[in-house]
Amino acid sequence: MKEIAIDVPVEPPKELESLFLPIPKEYVEEVYRNDEFLILVGPQHPGSGHMRLIVRVKGDVIQEVIPDPGYVHRAIEKIAETRLYVQNIPLVERPAIMDSANLNLGYVRAIEDGMDLEVPERAKYLRTILAELCRIGTHLYDAAILSVFLGHTTGFMYPFGIRELICESLVKMTGARFTSSFIIPGGVRRDVSKEILDWIYSATFAIEKRLRSFERLFIKNPTVVARLKDVGVLSKKEAIEFGVVGPFLRASGVEYDVRKVEPYEAYDKVDWDIVVADDGDSYSRFLVRVNEVAQSLKIIRQCIAEIPGGKVISDQICEGNDIRGEFFEKLAGIVLPAGEFTTLTEAARGSVIYTIVSDGESNVPYRLRVVTPGWLYLRGFMESLKGERLADLQAIYGSFGYFPPEADR
Amino acid sequence: MDEFLNFIKSGKLAPLKSWGTKWSLWPVHLVTACCGAELAHAFACGYDGERIGALNYGIARQTNLIIVEGAITRKMARVLKITWEQMPDPKFVIVMGACGLNGGVFWNGYNLVRPSEVVPVDFFIPGCPPTPEALLRGIRQLQKKLETGEAESSAYFYDLRLEKGKPPRRLPGVPKKISAAPSIVVNRPRKVDWAFGGELCEKLKVLRVESVAITGKNRIALKVSADKLREVAIELKKMGFDHVKSVNVVDVPGENKFIVEYHISSYSSKELMPVILNVFAEVPRNEAKIDSLSDLFPSADYMEREMQDFFGISFKGNPWKGKFLLAPDTPEFPLRKEFKLQEEIYVGD
Repeated sequence: MKEIAIDVPVEPPKELESLFLPIPKEYVEEVYRNDEFLILVGPQHPGSGHMRLIVRVKGDVIQEVIPDPGYVHRAIEKIAETRLYVQNIPLVERPAIMDSANLNLGYVRAIEDGMDLEVPERAKYLRTILAELCRIGTHLYDAAILSVFLGHTTGFMYPFGIRELICESLVKMTGARFTSSFIIPGGVRRDVSKEILDWIYSATFAIEKRLRSFERLFIKNPTVVARLKDVGVLSKKEAIEFGVVGPFLRASGVEYDVRKVEPYEAYDKVDWDIVVADDGDSYSRFLVRVNEVAQSLKIIRQCIAEIPGGKVISDQICEGNDIRGEFFEKLAGIVLPAGEFTTLTEAARGSVIYTIVSDGESNVPYRLRVVTPGWLYLRGFMESLKGERLADLQAIYGSFGYFPPEADR
Repeated sequence: MDEFLNFIKSGKLAPLKSWGTKWSLWPVHLVTACCGAELAHAFACGYDGERIGALNYGIARQTNLIIVEGAITRKMARVLKITWEQMPDPKFVIVMGACGLNGGVFWNGYNLVRPSEVVPVDFFIPGCPPTPEALLRGIRQLQKKLETGEAESSAYFYDLRLEKGKPPRRLPGVPKKISAAPSIVVNRPRKVDWAFGGELCEKLKVLRVESVAITGKNRIALKVSADKLREVAIELKKMGFDHVKSVNVVDVPGENKFIVEYHISSYSSKELMPVILNVFAEVPRNEAKIDSLSDLFPSADYMEREMQDFFGISFKGNPWKGKFLLAPDTPEFPLRKEFKLQEEIYVGD
């Protein structure tokens, strides 16, 4: 096709100056001189959490996307330096509250790594159940947000209906719908009774049944497939280069799951498979997560069936089996030995990294570095948008399940 | 014009108008933070907020209610104000979550703004996060306010009396112990049972590094000098390490240095997958410059920009200039140790 150029001097609109663009003025002028446009997507947009995408388009084909994150940057790394190790447990799960158990687990494992704490088997199983419940919840949440992006309201209602069962399970187990702070150094806060575990066991079948109708309605819906198929492709090479994580990496054909690569808790004792796809497009990113929900249900059932008895808190922390009432005395004064402790945990959206640097004398961390999955796959997300139509931006955004509060921390 | 406004506000049809507003409170889509998850639950099939006339809508110009969901950061405060200004009158603001009230868990953070300083707030809903029931009750309170013209709190406070005869409970004092002169060593060696680690260390010793130490199972720390960082990174890339998991900076003002760390790992080589190499270099605080690795490992790019914001370290070769994650009015280099946050007051003292 022949391109027609009309030699009309185009000036960037004056409004661009008042929008606090983080890009230099010359860049804006260069874009307009090349007969292209800058489109600002957000910060107020129908997604969950806010960020701005500065999209450079030619016609309606995206040339480049510059992210403008930080709208939900709540300074977790700095605040953590002013609080005790245990006071940071509620803090570190705030970035993504639907995934609280996984974020919580990563931080607590870093402390346990430093203090060489031995966690009892029963606590490990309870942690695994909790982490997998949160994983299912997050994947359902992302599926719902994806359907909002695609303008599919029924597709939003179904996952949130299923999520009510997850919230109910979390309430029964921990007492909170979202932010449970249930995992503490050395184990979990309290034991969970058999009746509650049986309730969760039967709830997994209810979730499975409802997922089948969601599959008929949304996952295999031809309009959804048409919107997502072959859109926003990340090849295996690109995914590795840009350091994409979690289900989005596995959707590009890389067999990497922290739960298999560096097993923690009870993941090496239960039978489950890594879900991998080869296409690397938006639809396979969605399908990988849908299939991961099935794997998570399988893990939860096995854990509940095989859960051993015994204590739920380590002997090194507390003699009894219940830390309630003496939590402050036992845990407020914990001091990590000097050094650096890094743990890798598979949260729902990918690997989350906690690095604690301790000076060996203070009972507050000297430095806590949190890298959440959203922050790691942001670069891959931006690259996958290149060369796509502007109308597909929402579909790709939704397929990544990008959650700014999690990415900005 | 005034006559017309008076007619609308207090004319014969005014009750009809306020009745209409009452049952069509449409919140704009301004999911500012994590409380949005509970908001979504309140409007999904479990709680169905639509039955009381509230429906989330995308565009500010066709809505009349802002539900501020939790934390408002310095960057977001501007957006909140712009959105509020775009909305037609009458408009209302409900703030949900403890962060919106007085900061919540993040009360002493450097990047938080109280929403009540930005827009006039009608109702606060405390909780972290508040349940969907609480949110719907907040909307009901707003409806009652529209009906009666008076804002009423739905919270009920019991009168608490001092118990006599009981000794008062002793509250714990400040439990914090902070070292005055901390010594930071990020490569403290540990003894672990990891055979492959020993082999890998031998291979790494050939590179131009200052020291190699096993700091844990699957964790190796490599100390390099700042000017050799790039050469070592090129060698590591040849060995099969292909992405950066984290870029970290540790500020040590006592020794006048920054420790810049790159956590490098591999996706393509099966046996290197669990290994995380901590390649770190020390740079002086007053001349904080280091070579960027963003062209070798594109995954390090955004994290280098972040560290540039937090510590004021310039990464030579990273094309990004200016702020990335922080707002223009955030304090400069907030993660340096000399920037202090407000300390909490303990009742027991």
